[in-house]
Amino acid sequence: MLKLAAQRLVALVPLLFIVSLLTFSITDLLPGNPAELIVGDDATQEQVDLVHERLGLDQPWPQRYWDWLTNALGGDLGTSFFNSVEVTDAVLLRLPVTLSLTLAAVVVALFIGIGAGLIAALRPGGWTDRAATAGATVGQALPNFWLALILAVVFAVKIRWFPATGYTPLTESPGAWLRSITLPAIALGVGAAAILARQTRSAMVGVLQTDYVRAARAQGLSARRVVLKHALKNAMLPVVTVLAFQVTVLLGGAIIVEQVFAVNGLGSLAVTAVRRQDVPLVQGVVIISVIVVVLVQLATDLLYGYLNPKARPS
Amino acid sequence: MTLVSPDSGPGAPPASRPGAGAASDLLGSRQRFARRFFAKRAVIPASLIVLAVLVAGIFAPWLAPYDPLDQSLLDTMQGPSWEHWLGTDDLGRDVLSRLIFGARIVLIAVAQAMTVAVVIGVPIGLFIGYMGGWWDRIVMRVVEAVISVPGIMVVIVIITVLGTGLTKAMIALGLLFSTAFLRLARGLVIAEREELYVRAARVVGAGTGRIVRKQILPNIAAPLIVQFTLTTAAVLLAEAGLSFLGLAVQPPDASWGTMLTTASRFINLHPWLALPPGIAIALVVLAVNLLGDAIRDSIGRGVGETATLRPAARDFSAAGTGADGAPASQRERTGVPSDAALVISSLDVQFPSPRGVPLTVVSDVSLHVRPGETLGLVGESGCGKSVTAMAVLGLVPEPGAATAEAILVGGQDVAAMSRRDLQHIRGTQAAAIFQDPTTSLNPAFRIGDQLSEILRIKRGMTRKASRRRAVELLEMVGIPDAAARARAFPHELSGGMAQRVAIARALSCEPKLLIADEPTTALDVTVQAEVLALLRDLQRELGMGMLFITHDLAVVADICDRAAVMYAGEIVEEAEVTELFANPRHPYTEGLLGAVPQAAHRGTALRAIPGVVPQPGEWPTGCRFAPRCPYSTTQCTAAPVEIDVQHAHQARCVRAAELTLDGAE
Ligand code: SF4
Repeated sequence: MLKLAAQRLVALVPLLFIVSLLTFSITDLLPGNPAELIVGDDATQEQVDLVHERLGLDQPWPQRYWDWLTNALGGDLGTSFFNSVEVTDAVLLRLPVTLSLTLAAVVVALFIGIGAGLIAALRPGGWTDRAATAGATVGQALPNFWLALILAVVFAVKIRWFPATGYTPLTESPGAWLRSITLPAIALGVGAAAILARQTRSAMVGVLQTDYVRAARAQGLSARRVVLKHALKNAMLPVVTVLAFQVTVLLGGAIIVEQVFAVNGLGSLAVTAVRRQDVPLVQGVVIISVIVVVLVQLATDLLYGYLNPKARPS
Repeated sequence: MTLVSPDSGPGAPPASRPGAGAASDLLGSRQRFARRFFAKRAVIPASLIVLAVLVAGIFAPWLAPYDPLDQSLLDTMQGPSWEHWLGTDDLGRDVLSRLIFGARIVLIAVAQAMTVAVVIGVPIGLFIGYMGGWWDRIVMRVVEAVISVPGIMVVIVIITVLGTGLTKAMIALGLLFSTAFLRLARGLVIAEREELYVRAARVVGAGTGRIVRKQILPNIAAPLIVQFTLTTAAVLLAEAGLSFLGLAVQPPDASWGTMLTTASRFINLHPWLALPPGIAIALVVLAVNLLGDAIRDSIGRGVGETATLRPAARDFSAAGTGADGAPASQRERTGVPSDAALVISSLDVQFPSPRGVPLTVVSDVSLHVRPGETLGLVGESGCGKSVTAMAVLGLVPEPGAATAEAILVGGQDVAAMSRRDLQHIRGTQAAAIFQDPTTSLNPAFRIGDQLSEILRIKRGMTRKASRRRAVELLEMVGIPDAAARARAFPHELSGGMAQRVAIARALSCEPKLLIADEPTTALDVTVQAEVLALLRDLQRELGMGMLFITHDLAVVADICDRAAVMYAGEIVEEAEVTELFANPRHPYTEGLLGAVPQAAHRGTALRAIPGVVPQPGEWPTGCRFAPRCPYSTTQCTAAPVEIDVQHAHQARCVRAAELTLDGAE
């Protein structure tokens, strides 16, 4: 397993490099001089030049990239264009919020998705199958932020089970955290649940037809045992692959759902940054998100290796 | 579904791609497509929804009862009324009119984003797929990097550069989704190029342009349409999300996303506002997704039709068993010993057919296996021999149903057993090994664990004892270095070793009957002989009966004591092996025997009999072999032929007594 982890980690380095390169080029792609953007319309040329120099924009491109990269590797992603906020600090402050929402949504998606897919696969063509498939089709079409609104109206405004807005950190009060995260997590997780359900269903239907399932049944193991142990471990292979991608999608989706519940995560940070063209902040949000995605990727690769012995390096 | 995922469609090219001849049979396939497409129930309502959006978007100024921007501060936040069918918003604007104009935004957004996605993605994909090499590697690396970032982040970066607004946001979306089209086009070109290499001789001299026009474009159209549809749905969701965030359509313009922004601000006061735009988005996305699915299923080689399910095996239902009007003569079997390891009498297996009439695949099969004896069940594939064997374990594949007078395993009637008892019988009284040993072992578990699990559950052994016993079993079937090999995974074993493991598993609970379903067919000839020898030794040692299913008469001669020949769902001849080989009484057996010496290798053994086995449901009324039988007369086809049970050497042939058939040497 360690070997697999090392292998995967090495493979991810070029990816991070390309992402950093692409993200870094935002500054140079901006129409006009970022310095003018910062100082505002009625600034003098001297002021512009001063800022231009402070940003290091007079340096050649490779030099700037190198400086930026070495700083970034040291954990310094620069400061915001518009205030003296350290980007790393700002992003790391918000990250736990978005991550816990994403994680909770993953739990929702796994629970509903695998459950529904499994039930559907046991009787292909039966009513449970048709109901689950229909549910998944609808679930895939619901915009998560709209679902969030509806859930908020029903479960927070009408019946006051959950708070309508806000976020309580886990460290402050686990109970309040759970209550504050439930509705956003469901709103966010339903779409992924629909996709996982479809994937689980088709994988499970396939696995249940395999020789080894038939052989296990012929050997007198119970249907429950064969399905939940022998078949599920194999059926989870394609599901894990999809899950890895869905975590990425959920991380992005969290940005929108956070807005509905007025949760101060990466979402509001990113949206403000984009509207103001606050390049360092945007870069920071993207880079940190990609690092998270890469770690998730690594974790799912290891999970895949656990589920599929053939994927392990011998 | 969540905002912005470039992978929402079939990013990779479909595995089974229409062949290069697709262009020529386009006409036929187009009709087939239309038939399949409109056969889907969801297609018509889905098309109507899409049509409604088109009409609303195009004719918005004429359809909308009010100007979408007209404020009326006296009638703010009203519910539905006669004047305002869907009520008014916080500024007294008519919701219905805004919804209708929102449809126009949808059309613009989709048009812009999809144009960018296709115009950028497809040519680049074609280009790098065609060029290969460094072009391909560099571009794909960048594409992979873009895909690994959450889609919304990519869009945010692009919007940072371009600025906010519908068109700018849609260009950003288009760039994001172009990766999906790029990968699709690239994959198709690469597949096409490989095919061109294969048929290199025919295309020598064909210019690049010609190849693209003649070969690539016809093949790319179908998957492209599917990708296009599914991406459209994703764009719809993404546009709404970005407008909701205030990054695409800007207020006061009416889009479904900005309407939801308004709704979210007044959600406590007037929740109604969230319904019309939300439902509109969900319905349209649903409709487009359904259309995409329907197109995908209708294109190509009938994905919907060929994917017939062979669902999970299920238990016997006790209700479906019991005696039913079998001819009296069939019941009075001769020579069935009371201590038989297996007795099947009058087994029928039926599958429901689309036409309503159940399809019989096994009819009135009766046989028995004595302890220590090996009965060969011989026949071509599709004759029902495997289904017969599965019926013994109560594992006829669903939706098939087995009915029998009795299926006695070690004296207990499997056919009348509860699920629980049946499950208990499996493994302990009767066990099975199958054709492909590499697929009959679970790839995800160590072989030792697969053995010890059975021992723990079926024999109540402790973890430790079961592990020890598993190693002993592996030694018993001749696995070298068994203690270490127990930790191996199935893919680390050769086919022969895997079959030995499967045998060890089957014998772990010392069953009285072993069902061997073509256990050597998938193996090399030398390994075949070893496995047969092992089976013979183990059988002698354990004194179990064996039902040995095969299509290979050479194997029958090698290992079986008696043999029953099956043809088209019924047994046509049964005798001691030496007798059967020397003096066959059924013309089918004679045909099989005649084919043996010519068989260069297994699999071709039955080619010498002209004609093909009739499918279930197409069996002739009289003798089922008659169409292929060289001795067939009118009396053969008049009525169903019965097997002559009184005879020690049974045959199902009206002319069995008069014919003198050739046996094998
Ligand atoms: S019954 Fe007639 S057709 Fe059938 S096998 Fe005998 S001779 Fe041939």
